[in-house]
Amino acid sequence: MLRPEPGRPESPRDARPGGGGGEGEGEEGEEGNPFDFAPQPVRLHRDHELFEDGDVLRHLYLQDLYVSEEAEDKRAVSEFACHFSSCSAVFSSLEEYEHHYNSLHRHVCCSCRRSLPSARLLDLHIQEWHDSLFTILAQRQDMYQCLVEGCGQKFRTSKHRKDHLVRIHKYPPDFRFDKTKKNRGTQQTKGQQQKDTAMEVVDEVCEGTSDPPEQGESMETYVCEEEAARMATPASSEEHADVSAADPSTESPSTEPPKARFSYRLVFKQVRWK
Amino acid sequence: MWRLNKVRHKAVRHGDSLEELKLKRREHERALRQARRDRQLVSKRLLLNDDEDQPEVTMDTNTGEQDAVGLFLKLQHGGLGREAHLEALSKVLRDPSAQLAFLKQENSMHLLVGFLTGSDATCRLQAVRCLHELSHSPHASVSSACLPATPYLLTYLSGQSTKFSELCLYTLGNLCPDSDAVKEKLLAQGIIPALASCLENQRHNLAVVEAVGFTLSQFLQAKNAAEKIIPMKDNRELLAHGALLQCSSLLVSLGGAVAEGNKEEGLELFICPLLRCVGNLLSSCPVKELSTQAGDVRIVAALCTLVQAFLQSRPALARESAWVLNNLTALSSASCSALLTLNLVPGLMKLLPFSQGINTMILRILANIAHKKKHFCAQLTRCGLLSALCATLKMADQEMVTLSMDVLYMLVVGGPQVAEEFVKQGGFPLLEALQYNGEGAIRRRATHLLERHLLSCSSYCSENVPCS
Repeated sequence: MLRPEPGRPESPRDARPGGGGGEGEGEEGEEGNPFDFAPQPVRLHRDHELFEDGDVLRHLYLQDLYVSEEAEDKRAVSEFACHFSSCSAVFSSLEEYEHHYNSLHRHVCCSCRRSLPSARLLDLHIQEWHDSLFTILAQRQDMYQCLVEGCGQKFRTSKHRKDHLVRIHKYPPDFRFDKTKKNRGTQQTKGQQQKDTAMEVVDEVCEGTSDPPEQGESMETYVCEEEAARMATPASSEEHADVSAADPSTESPSTEPPKARFSYRLVFKQVRWK
Repeated sequence: MWRLNKVRHKAVRHGDSLEELKLKRREHERALRQARRDRQLVSKRLLLNDDEDQPEVTMDTNTGEQDAVGLFLKLQHGGLGREAHLEALSKVLRDPSAQLAFLKQENSMHLLVGFLTGSDATCRLQAVRCLHELSHSPHASVSSACLPATPYLLTYLSGQSTKFSELCLYTLGNLCPDSDAVKEKLLAQGIIPALASCLENQRHNLAVVEAVGFTLSQFLQAKNAAEKIIPMKDNRELLAHGALLQCSSLLVSLGGAVAEGNKEEGLELFICPLLRCVGNLLSSCPVKELSTQAGDVRIVAALCTLVQAFLQSRPALARESAWVLNNLTALSSASCSALLTLNLVPGLMKLLPFSQGINTMILRILANIAHKKKHFCAQLTRCGLLSALCATLKMADQEMVTLSMDVLYMLVVGGPQVAEEFVKQGGFPLLEALQYNGEGAIRRRATHLLERHLLSCSSYCSENVPCS
């Protein structure tokens, strides 16, 4: 079944499914010596019958032995609230909280309070929306990076990037994590209004709206304004006043707090579990 | 796999008698074997909820369909309670006809994607559960409805929410085998870097790591995966990255665990792919690099342990272990020497009577050892190989007989007394009989041995009438 084909001793041989070639009929040596055994490593293709049992076992595992979602992390805790005081979400398990936190509060832009799904997308967002140096450089060189990790290509405008995403990476044209700055129009006005409208925004995010999510409303959610202010606090005291009072939607390059981003991450570390 | 114990309890508790369970499993196994022979062996995986132990669909079809449509309309309409509606929908979508009814509603997928990408974390989780149920469908028309969600599922892989990541991964893994077009789309959308990034970020979470493994393996099941998906990555590159070293040392640890009596279920699910990696990587490894690449030569002990441990319970695994040992001994003298020094040869010889392809592999291993040095031949003889050969020469399997004579030839040539010893043990008539064997190769070998090596020895001359 697994007879390696006759050949030079040191070269690896492939065993094809269904048996090898020669019968072991040796090349007759000088004295009519029929013995031609030579050690041969045997390389097997994945469809080889030797692997049948192992494959079947694995698929039995995949199909029969269903993996249940484990309740390992479900320690009994009384209901507790999201750490962010103005986020009114409440949880009865650490798992739930972890998911909530990681989805909504983790990768948040402190300038505009948008939440992004990953660190990388947050970085790109900050660069493209809040970095004036980026804007300047973008006039002269290709600065807009492809969103697909590993692609590495850069583009002159976000429209070019979007075309690339659609054409090459088969993304939908309305990909929700690729908003251009122009789309901010609606949100900008909201932010500029007084506190109660800002509270509206808060409500929208933290408790969930009564409307189903619309086309334009993306994944980018807003972290509560107060929380944004709290987050900026550890960074530097002089910036504190600026950030909390600042209209999150206007760009103020001189007080742009890249530090706020880091302070945000510090806040995460301070989360205490009950 | 660490969850297997927990699941096992649940399965048995469910009321099926042990006999029924066995019968079901046997049928299932037969179906899988046939599927593999047809090159159609593909599995989707379903993650159950906490309160479930079996993926049963308890509701009747009509209710399921109605519920699906009703929930869809409620969700579309908006209003409070959408988290609860989505959760209910995910349960309803276990039923195939409910799935179809849901998908027939216009904009149903658009709605789900909206929740998947919305600002409510719980809704996102429930939405991905809905998608997961759909992805598990064996009908490509149903699972392919999930395709608009893939760029988002991929984006979320670099997030940090573990449960959510697991669901995204298994959903993607279920979609992979549907068609080549799906795989190409996922490739274009960057599934490989996304998986790599997920693995990096969440490598401490075993559940997520296993899920990444599943998704990747589903992806690589494509017929031309080797060319399309991993174009430049041949075995040499894997070797350069230390793959062989890692896998070998893992096998050493596992062999040690098995030797200590570790009977943990699921261990073989781990051992099997390792064996295959080592077996094939060895055959690609240049001989000069073998000592650095193959690492600890104690792997021979681990492999012998595995062969013996699984001989009865999982003979296929024993066979695969023996195959790896063949590849190792074919290439490395150090491993041959280790087998002798560690006194593993007698144990191997005991396996020679066993069929199912194990004995030919074992004999090949012994032949590899004999071929290396004459000095090894002497040691093999001292282990009692000659009497074992007297048994194997009588076997019906032609490959066994041919190999036996090959080994005998090397032993005889290796030392002067060996021929005499063989004759003393009664081997002569065995070879005589083989001169009349149907196979030319066997006849020629028998004749050569008799005429050139055995007829001249003293024990023959003294005990037998010289033949013409």
